[in-house]
Amino acid sequence: MDRDEDDFVFYGTPIEREEEIISRKKKAVAEASGNLRTLVPWKQEVRDEEGRRRFHGAFSGGFSAGYYNTVGSKEGWTPQSFVSSRKNRAEVKQQNILNFLDEDEKEELEGQSLGTSLQFDTFGFTAAELARKQAEKEQQKRPSAIPGPVPDELVLPSTDSIGVKLLLKMGWRHGRSIRDSHTNKSYDARREARKAFLAFSSSDAKKQTADPESVPGELESYIDPPASDDVQSSESTPVYVLYPKQDLHGLGFDPYKHAPEFREKKRSRLSDNKGIGYRSAPSMDNNLFGFKCKNYDSVKKLDAEDEDVYASGYDFEETYVEDIDEPSRSITEGKQKSVRKEPGVLSGFRLALNSDYQHERFDPPVVPKDFVPHHKFPGPLETGYKLGDPGPPEVPPPEDTNLKLLIDGVATLVARCGKLFEDLSREKNQSNPLFSFLVGGNGHDYYARKLWEEQQKRSDHTKQKLDVKLSPHMQKMTAESRGQILGERPLERSTKDSNSSATSADAIQLQYNLSDTFTKPALHGEMLEAAKPFKEDPAKQERFERFLKEKYQGGLRSTESGGASHMSEAARARERMDFEAAAEAIQKGKWSKDSKLSTSQFMEYLSSGGMQFTSGGLAQAKDTQAENSITKEVHLKRKEYQWRPSPILCKRFDLIDPYMGKPPPAPRMKSKMETLIFTSDSGKDTKAEEIVIAKGVSFPVAQSDAQGLSKDAADKESEVEVEAENVERPVDLYKAIFSDDSDDEEDTSVHNEVGNPEKKGEAANTTLNRLIAGDFLESLGKELGLEVPPELPSSMNKVGNSVPPKGTATVNSVDSDIVRVDNAPSSNHEILHSQEIARDGPRGNIEPVNGNSARSNSKYTETGSFGNQFDKIILEKAPQEDGKAKTPSRRHRNLSSSSSSEDERSKKRSGRHRHRHSDSDSDSSSDHRDRHRSRSKRRRKGSSREKSSSSSRKHSKHHKHRSRDSPEKERSETKRDKHKRRG
Amino acid sequence: MSVADLPKTEANVLRGHEGAVLAARFNSDGNYCLSAGKDRTIRLWNPHRGIHIKTYKSHGREVRDVHVTSDNSKLCSCGGDRQIFYWDVATGKVIRKFRGHEGEVNSVKFNEYSSVVVSAGFDQSLRAWDCRSHSNEPIQIIDTFTDSIMSVCLTKTEIIGGSVDGTVRTFDMRIGREVSDDLGQPVNCISMSNDGNCILASCLDSTLRLIDRSSGELLQQYKGHTCKSYKLDCCITNTDAHVTGGSEDGFIFFWDLVDASVATKFRAHSSVVTSVSYHPKDNCMISSSVDGTIKVWKS
Repeated sequence: MDRDEDDFVFYGTPIEREEEIISRKKKAVAEASGNLRTLVPWKQEVRDEEGRRRFHGAFSGGFSAGYYNTVGSKEGWTPQSFVSSRKNRAEVKQQNILNFLDEDEKEELEGQSLGTSLQFDTFGFTAAELARKQAEKEQQKRPSAIPGPVPDELVLPSTDSIGVKLLLKMGWRHGRSIRDSHTNKSYDARREARKAFLAFSSSDAKKQTADPESVPGELESYIDPPASDDVQSSESTPVYVLYPKQDLHGLGFDPYKHAPEFREKKRSRLSDNKGIGYRSAPSMDNNLFGFKCKNYDSVKKLDAEDEDVYASGYDFEETYVEDIDEPSRSITEGKQKSVRKEPGVLSGFRLALNSDYQHERFDPPVVPKDFVPHHKFPGPLETGYKLGDPGPPEVPPPEDTNLKLLIDGVATLVARCGKLFEDLSREKNQSNPLFSFLVGGNGHDYYARKLWEEQQKRSDHTKQKLDVKLSPHMQKMTAESRGQILGERPLERSTKDSNSSATSADAIQLQYNLSDTFTKPALHGEMLEAAKPFKEDPAKQERFERFLKEKYQGGLRSTESGGASHMSEAARARERMDFEAAAEAIQKGKWSKDSKLSTSQFMEYLSSGGMQFTSGGLAQAKDTQAENSITKEVHLKRKEYQWRPSPILCKRFDLIDPYMGKPPPAPRMKSKMETLIFTSDSGKDTKAEEIVIAKGVSFPVAQSDAQGLSKDAADKESEVEVEAENVERPVDLYKAIFSDDSDDEEDTSVHNEVGNPEKKGEAANTTLNRLIAGDFLESLGKELGLEVPPELPSSMNKVGNSVPPKGTATVNSVDSDIVRVDNAPSSNHEILHSQEIARDGPRGNIEPVNGNSARSNSKYTETGSFGNQFDKIILEKAPQEDGKAKTPSRRHRNLSSSSSSEDERSKKRSGRHRHRHSDSDSDSSSDHRDRHRSRSKRRRKGSSREKSSSSSRKHSKHHKHRSRDSPEKERSETKRDKHKRRG
Repeated sequence: MSVADLPKTEANVLRGHEGAVLAARFNSDGNYCLSAGKDRTIRLWNPHRGIHIKTYKSHGREVRDVHVTSDNSKLCSCGGDRQIFYWDVATGKVIRKFRGHEGEVNSVKFNEYSSVVVSAGFDQSLRAWDCRSHSNEPIQIIDTFTDSIMSVCLTKTEIIGGSVDGTVRTFDMRIGREVSDDLGQPVNCISMSNDGNCILASCLDSTLRLIDRSSGELLQQYKGHTCKSYKLDCCITNTDAHVTGGSEDGFIFFWDLVDASVATKFRAHSSVVTSVSYHPKDNCMISSSVDGTIKVWKS
């Protein structure tokens, strides 16, 4: 071929591949003659006459379609083309042998078939056959619900045999025995003739209907036991009739089985529905059916009574009804009558003569014999009493500061430990001139006053938080009664003491708090006078006072308690919020302490946090806190946050991402705020404090004396605390919504700091004095053999705070708590994981992660010495806690306001360190000495801490993946700075 | 289950760890157990026959926790080297290492489908690691805890962590909520009841606390043992009838779950019982101790 392409000149006519054609032909011939050596069938190739392989397409046979390519040829079959059965799905082709027969074959077949002629169809076979064919034809004409032909076996079209026809003509009817039942000869010819007529009409009707014997009522008539007269006994052959199913019930379900009344009812309704004009045709049908199926007594009736059939016509309807319901009606006759008798009763039901249901009547509660119908109102009366009882008159403290301290201390102790302590110390110190105030000597008045104040304060703290939520009536419960309800152990107190202190209302607490500021003890009204946050609006101030009164006192409410009547609802609500907030602020006593700035500052407070009062979140937060501390034993402190799982995590857990399609997270509100405000340490504080408060419950360290030692001391303490805070205004909005009261006090204290920075030195002095007094008192308590709930040096304990739990510093603090061997000097503490502390010790030293080991060491020396003290306390108190007896002191602590949160925070830290020092056992005085030392040390250490904090800060920058932590770190650092500054 | 059925008799002692055993865990069907120790190894045992099967060595420091998938094919472990190791059980090879924790990793768990490992770290974070992708970055970091997280539990939809900050926090992935229950005491170990309704939390004040998860109610407290400084495991028996836990004095305690009475206690080890694990079906328990042994207890 290549050659051909190369040459461009042709000579002659080229032979057209002659040899190829020849060979192909040869092959074909050989194949046809079978000369070819036969291959295995599946290897043989099918070729056409030309010897070519023909391809028929993949769906029509491929290379070999049909038997050796016979498809499409004369011998082969034609492949069926695809026909969609979508439209005519139900159409199923019924193949018949006739389909496959030619015309002539059919003719042949026709001629060959044998059959009896209709004339001689004795047994009715031919007739049956014909009837069946007829039915088939009919069926093909009309659509069928069930696709496909109905199987012949199921539905047999019936014909009557000639015998039956004869019998029918003779007057026999279905259901009758053939023998002549009419033994009596009373039937006359007319009667016979009528029967014949009836039979005729029925047989005619039968031809009209497809299945002539499906007659309603027949079954019943069969089921009904025949009466016993001889006529009926002769009607032996039952006829099974097919019911056309016309209702929506399940097969075989008879809804009226046990309630034939309803059947009757329904039937009458149906017949009612049929109009009169419509009546004739259906009722005719019914009648026809009815005839076929007839119950014999009804027929009898017809026979018996209807002599003039032609004249009157049948009352088919009636016949029908009677027909069916004869037996049941006779049964229910009486009932129906009774039904008719009573209108208004659901037909079919009958009123019971005697009802089983009786109204239950309960006897009224029996009034006890000794009941006196007079209610005691404990609250308002006592309030009035308390208000009228300002306690011992305010006395200027004695000049001798030592004596004053002593008196303060003793008063605190007595208030805490009860009257017994006073008696004991009086006995002990009879000879001691210093204690002459106990027996009425120098300073006795001051002592009395002081003692009273302390007791007020103590009881106030008990009540304060509890009362926030309680109703005004409940507010007047005394601490004792509440304690009894709660199953608490009552305070050991003389009756007189408890009288005066325990019943105090919150007004007294206000009084106390304000009395810190005012030289003269003011009464309730006066105090509120002083605390006028709404001075510029007298009406509002008035309402506020009324609000306060209502809040803290029982008694009747005026109708327009919420505010002026002209105010709108919203405005009233807002004002109420304001009042709540203001009252809270007053109640906390924080602002009363620095109430020299009071009004202006409070206004600032209000204005700065203007939104907070409308939000209502503030008060709620406090409530929950108070509540938590109460129900702590049962319910844990539960909080919910939003948390956004990453989509891939949800995917891996086979869950749907709840935040799918939502914008990327605003991590957490708190942290967002913090990133905005760098100096803020509020959010964190809130959290930490809440935790601390929760924790505080299980550390039964009484600390109420911390603030109880002297009011000056308390003042100073707050000063000290104040220094810790940063100046931050813009946080207020956030705080207002989310923080608790501790923040508020911090907030106000900030002002305090700003206002009088000169107090610092004084504060330090006083704290020192207080500590000395504390030492003395504790040793005194020991001497007297009393259990003295130790106080917490709150200002000192903040050292523990200086290490925030977050960030780099935690590596040391947390570490030492549990996981790793710490490098603390008191290394009898073991880590949970390890026995080989010795082995691990060096590692811990090697590993001081952030290079601030020096700091942590120093910290441990400090906190360690504290820890001793705390440990001791805890050991003392542990049994109490186990016994679930919440001591009142604990409650005091929990409910206490002002400086408690700060203390508790430190306590928390100490609690963590507790186990480490559990076996160190030194007495309290040395503890206190330690404390002093460490205190001074702390001061000295200010600079070093600063260094370490800065180093840690530097370090934190290296951790770039900690960027999310950064706000907290900021915060922790600011906190550290704060402590540094305090030091 | 009566008290007599509690596993009190020592069936086997598994020796092999050099140094303290920090965790002992049954696998999901209870036929095998795994232990992790201070000797930086993980060991696979047949506790019923007392046979040591395999040792997994790769950790650079002590191994603190180990968990095995429900199909026994993979392990995950964590420890002092701040890494989570993802092992193939059969070959003993490390498939992957997850780095990222800034401190020691205290606890580790697989999720139901063994596709995610969740680790609880000393760095106050819970991290979820994807076993399916090849990324070594955590797919989720939960850093709302304020102190070291000691223990983590997973349900089908939740991650639960117990921390030294005294909280047990439940992170529900379905609704995207974090629920924090503050127990007020450093939480050492948490474990789920078998019905999943309660959490048993071991606190450092020598108390086990049973918390109702739905309401946050403190249902019961179990006391009597010593747990002040070690991470001691606790668990609920497979019938939810008793609570068991080790003590620092070497005892194992059984409490009645409902009335919190000490059902039985016996001296199990010469030293601190660091971990207990209860058989998922039988009355069988393993305990590990600082004395280097793992003991198998049967009734």
